[in-house]
Amino acid sequence: MPRQETGLARTARLLDLVPYLTTHQGIAITELARTFNTTVKEITDDLNTLWMCGLPGYTPLELIDLEFESGFVSIRNAETLAAPRALDRAEALSIYMGLDLLAAELSASSVSFAAEIENLQEQLRSQLISAPQVQIEASLRSEFRALILRTIRRRGWLEITYHSAANDQVAKRQVAPYELSQSGSHEYLQGYCDSAKAIRNFRADRIVEIAEIADQLWPSNQIAADQEAIEYEVRIHAASRQVREVLPQLSADSATATIQGFSASWISRAILSLGGQVEAIGPSEIRAAVRARAKAALENYH
Amino acid sequence: MSRKNERLVNLTIALLATKRYLTKNEIFRNIEGYEGSAESKERMFERDKDDLRKLGIQIEVGGLDPLFDDEAGYRIRPESYALSLRNLTPTQVTLLSLAAQAWQDAAFTDLSQQALRKLTSIGLDTDSSQLPVMAPKLIGADENLRSALDALTSLTTIEFDYLNVEGIAQKRQLQVYGVQARKSYWYLIGLDTEKSAIRNFRVDRIFGEVNSVGKSQSYVIPTNFEISELEPAIETPVAVLQVRPGAGYQLRRMASTIETADDWDLLELPIFDLAYMTSLVLWHGDDVIVSSPIQLRNAVLSALEKLVAIHA
Repeated sequence: MPRQETGLARTARLLDLVPYLTTHQGIAITELARTFNTTVKEITDDLNTLWMCGLPGYTPLELIDLEFESGFVSIRNAETLAAPRALDRAEALSIYMGLDLLAAELSASSVSFAAEIENLQEQLRSQLISAPQVQIEASLRSEFRALILRTIRRRGWLEITYHSAANDQVAKRQVAPYELSQSGSHEYLQGYCDSAKAIRNFRADRIVEIAEIADQLWPSNQIAADQEAIEYEVRIHAASRQVREVLPQLSADSATATIQGFSASWISRAILSLGGQVEAIGPSEIRAAVRARAKAALENYH
Repeated sequence: MSRKNERLVNLTIALLATKRYLTKNEIFRNIEGYEGSAESKERMFERDKDDLRKLGIQIEVGGLDPLFDDEAGYRIRPESYALSLRNLTPTQVTLLSLAAQAWQDAAFTDLSQQALRKLTSIGLDTDSSQLPVMAPKLIGADENLRSALDALTSLTTIEFDYLNVEGIAQKRQLQVYGVQARKSYWYLIGLDTEKSAIRNFRVDRIFGEVNSVGKSQSYVIPTNFEISELEPAIETPVAVLQVRPGAGYQLRRMASTIETADDWDLLELPIFDLAYMTSLVLWHGDDVIVSSPIQLRNAVLSALEKLVAIHA
């Protein structure tokens, strides 16, 4: 959502329009409005204001010369403002962090731009009063991302090697990818999974390997609905931060709750990992599975 | 409002174009928009200077010839006004625009778009032939991260409620020194002013809003502060685990050494957080046995006993 425009944001836009127009002579007003994330009316107001600006004297010789009646904008006599403004500190930081992510993603790929990125970051650092420390880790290797996006575009198939935490297994699956999306703190690959015969979400950071599958048709039959949800009931013995993070559907103040999960194995492992802070009440198979797993683990120590 | 914008643009142009300092009188006489009594012109000019400074434009104040006149004068140096990234290669321009796009749909999107417009105003060609077609995304960057980053650029102390391990929100005050995105989570690192110690906070554990406290420029980031040196500074204990062959994929990825055997493989891995390691071991049920340290072994044993007891 764009932030509330202040009078100063307008001044900034006026100053930034001049260099942009200088290198984009003949740009359509509609495109200009889109680039500056505003309306055609606002941009036209801006152009009308700029047209009144120039060097002291303010005769046609000194004023900025703008042409935009045709719907396309050209600018002359604006040399004083023609250089793009310096990045402010927040802008410099946003680019600096983006570069850090790029460096992390690209580092694993065959072509590396480490030196060029380092050089840019060095230049940006001088614009920040005191150098902030930034360290960013990538969730997906850049060649994986490129391959996924290419495959989505050409409606192809991938063979992904994936680590499923619920089953503690690494397995190959054939997937027709639909999209890369974000949910909460994670990035997901969504697609039709041939082994499950249904749409599945794969966490990007758990993808171990990806390979392209040539000449396989995009799934034509109507795809089965989502995984069937399993309802289970829990009792909360300690409402710790960990409990809230593992089971975010829980509401804060009730002692028992009925929630949904998608895999019986995931549910019993999740409850196990909470070490007695949460109790599985039902269904009885899940309660029994938790007990059996805990007992078996305990046996190991006797 | 439009008159004022016009005046600010005209003032910027005049102060940029001048080769020497302009006095206030020259400004009032020559730049369009300064009207009214001497005092109101004076007030207008003071506000205008503040506004331009808020936009990051540096106005230099200097004297005229000291022998004749000591009235102050003003100018803007073109080299401080203009973008200082120089001699960019087409590849670098592409890298910069990919970096700006990383914020798409995230907290910094408006700022990075503004930066991107400035960069494209250079009018240089891009070269993406060797680069990824799509920018990576910075995930999970929310309003609270944005507030923290604003505080980091302006060096303003922040305050927020933070969920502690018991799940209770506590008020914390922080001078942000840096940010980190690790294992899909954002962390703020800085000086916890109450504890007078360096602490890190996971952004999604902040409860409610991040608010600023006091003025900007109220602290400096120590020059010897390095995020990358934070973790090795503390000696990390090592867990020794017996893991069934074929099981414990995640544990194996974290392990520093793996010794394979027929019945149980032996893994050594660093314990950054005892509670996290305990739940990770529990997740793997009877596929993992803790050999050492005793604290981890006891934590797992008592959790398992409790699990058996409540599920009896």
